[in-house]
Amino acid sequence: MNAPGRIVWLASYPKSGNTWFRIFLANLAAGENGPTDINDLHERGGMAYNRTEFELATLLDSGLISHDDIDNLRPYVYRRLTPPIGQRWIKVHDAYMAAPSGEPIFGVPGTCAVYLVRDPRDVVVSFAFHNSMTVDDTIKLLNSTDSAFCRGGKGLEPQLRQLLLDWSGNVASWLDQTDIPVHCIRYEDLRAEPERHFAAALEFAGRIVSQADVQRAVRHSAFDELRRQEAERGFAERMSRTSPFFRSGRVGDWRGQLTDEQVACIEEAHAETMLRFGYALHTRPHVSSESLVKG
Amino acid sequence: MHNYLISGLHVSSEMELPGAVGQSSPPPVADVSVRRAAVPTSLGDGAERGPNWEMDARTVLLRIPRLARLLIAQGREIVVELHPGATEQDASAYVLGTAFGILLHQRGTLVLHGAAVARNGEAIAICGQSGAGKSTLAAALCRSGATFVTDDICAVTFNSDRRPLVIPDGRRLKLWQESIEKLDFAEQRGDAVRAGFEKYFVAPPSIMAREPLPLRAIYLLRQARPPLQEGIEAIDLAEAMAALDREAYRPVLRAKMDSIATAVGQGAMMMGHVKIFRLIRPRGFESLADTVSALLRHWDGLAQ
Repeated sequence: MNAPGRIVWLASYPKSGNTWFRIFLANLAAGENGPTDINDLHERGGMAYNRTEFELATLLDSGLISHDDIDNLRPYVYRRLTPPIGQRWIKVHDAYMAAPSGEPIFGVPGTCAVYLVRDPRDVVVSFAFHNSMTVDDTIKLLNSTDSAFCRGGKGLEPQLRQLLLDWSGNVASWLDQTDIPVHCIRYEDLRAEPERHFAAALEFAGRIVSQADVQRAVRHSAFDELRRQEAERGFAERMSRTSPFFRSGRVGDWRGQLTDEQVACIEEAHAETMLRFGYALHTRPHVSSESLVKG
Repeated sequence: MHNYLISGLHVSSEMELPGAVGQSSPPPVADVSVRRAAVPTSLGDGAERGPNWEMDARTVLLRIPRLARLLIAQGREIVVELHPGATEQDASAYVLGTAFGILLHQRGTLVLHGAAVARNGEAIAICGQSGAGKSTLAAALCRSGATFVTDDICAVTFNSDRRPLVIPDGRRLKLWQESIEKLDFAEQRGDAVRAGFEKYFVAPPSIMAREPLPLRAIYLLRQARPPLQEGIEAIDLAEAMAALDREAYRPVLRAKMDSIATAVGQGAMMMGHVKIFRLIRPRGFESLADTVSALLRHWDGLAQ
């Protein structure tokens, strides 16, 4: 008997390997026909922030109801996106939060989450290039609990509002909630042993895949392949005019990119969470003895 | 009582509908009535359910958070029950938008999610997702001399030769403040579509069409990003027929209510009466003037 279908949230703070994971899934689906076209990913599982999906499900004009009212409806929109069988992987950058109604936005029964976490110092560098923002402004974004995407203004934002919290808040919101099962992968581990960690994530989500299929999909999702495709044909999700989306992907890239002051500013804000995930501190921020014990 | 001509239907409304253009004299018989009354909380067990709506063969119940409950019945009636504290004006945006879109579907009309403008007695429709820039492009075309036909909800009927006609919606243009500033429409700006939102009614910068006009072409508005490159390209018949499904105003309704109208529309495309193109442009206002000239040139080229 087949297990019922489910949504798998592919959750992360931005620039933490989410797109790479989606490309891996697309290559898994493509099988021997891969490598898949990196500009043909949009139909696969979707994005939690998709305005059109919201309007299709609710019939409402999403530009004429408040962000909070939208958040109250989102759990019911996602219920409709649950597939009858198999998994539907949906990308999410929002923090795991309750809607104003009290209902968790992503706590749809039967769902689970794969959460990707990456060294926030590397996130800052990658995010700054991606958004064409200064490093200092990017650090402010990672350090502010008030951070959000598409909060809106004078025009209709392309995506629904997404409350991110600060980097530590985003990580903790998914990993410390107890509504739905969650499987955590460090980006650094995924880079070091992609086959092992992709396979473990699939197994967690209830998908059985042969080792050969995983190996091929990993090969087809290699960074050089992605970079080659982007150089040839561009990438739909690239934001910056000057910097490619698949820029470096390196672990520890921050060492050549951030000043000591910038590193200190990140570590001061996130030391506790960084230690929890084994990211050794470069500076010596003040950390409470309690969190050092936890780390 | 307020009287309007909306998408070709005589509407008699207890509520003022600020987005619609009023008619001075009441019609002999109203096609549609809009009234304020109690609306049931549910349509019962037999109804199909969405996150905030219920639907049976003849009725749709729509819940708009903190604003109103609407009952849209048999293509003839919209009943509005306001939430405490909500105003008629705020609810009217939904009466004219979603509710009227549903009502047109109930009447078996082909309803596209798009704007339309006309020149030389024929119209084009610009379809696309919310935020794609349909209304902004339509407004810019009107500034270049086109006649305003519809914004957002594009109802299509067919004449006796099965040729598609676009019905003027009898509503004002709705634009976000950003577009109003970039297009320099500050003087035409009216009230907010809903209090607290930066979207406003705008008097069209050209005359408004009053009679149905032949639909010459449909342009699917898409953002230029890989693999799509800026330009206007033809799409094949299979994709065009699928597009008519996808570009419907709220396709879930189309699938349940007006499959015949869609089939007729698809037939019209096969007969060559209406052509569908992809109009691909970068997001934003920088190259809007270029898009307008390219589109007008392309439209002129269709005459041959």
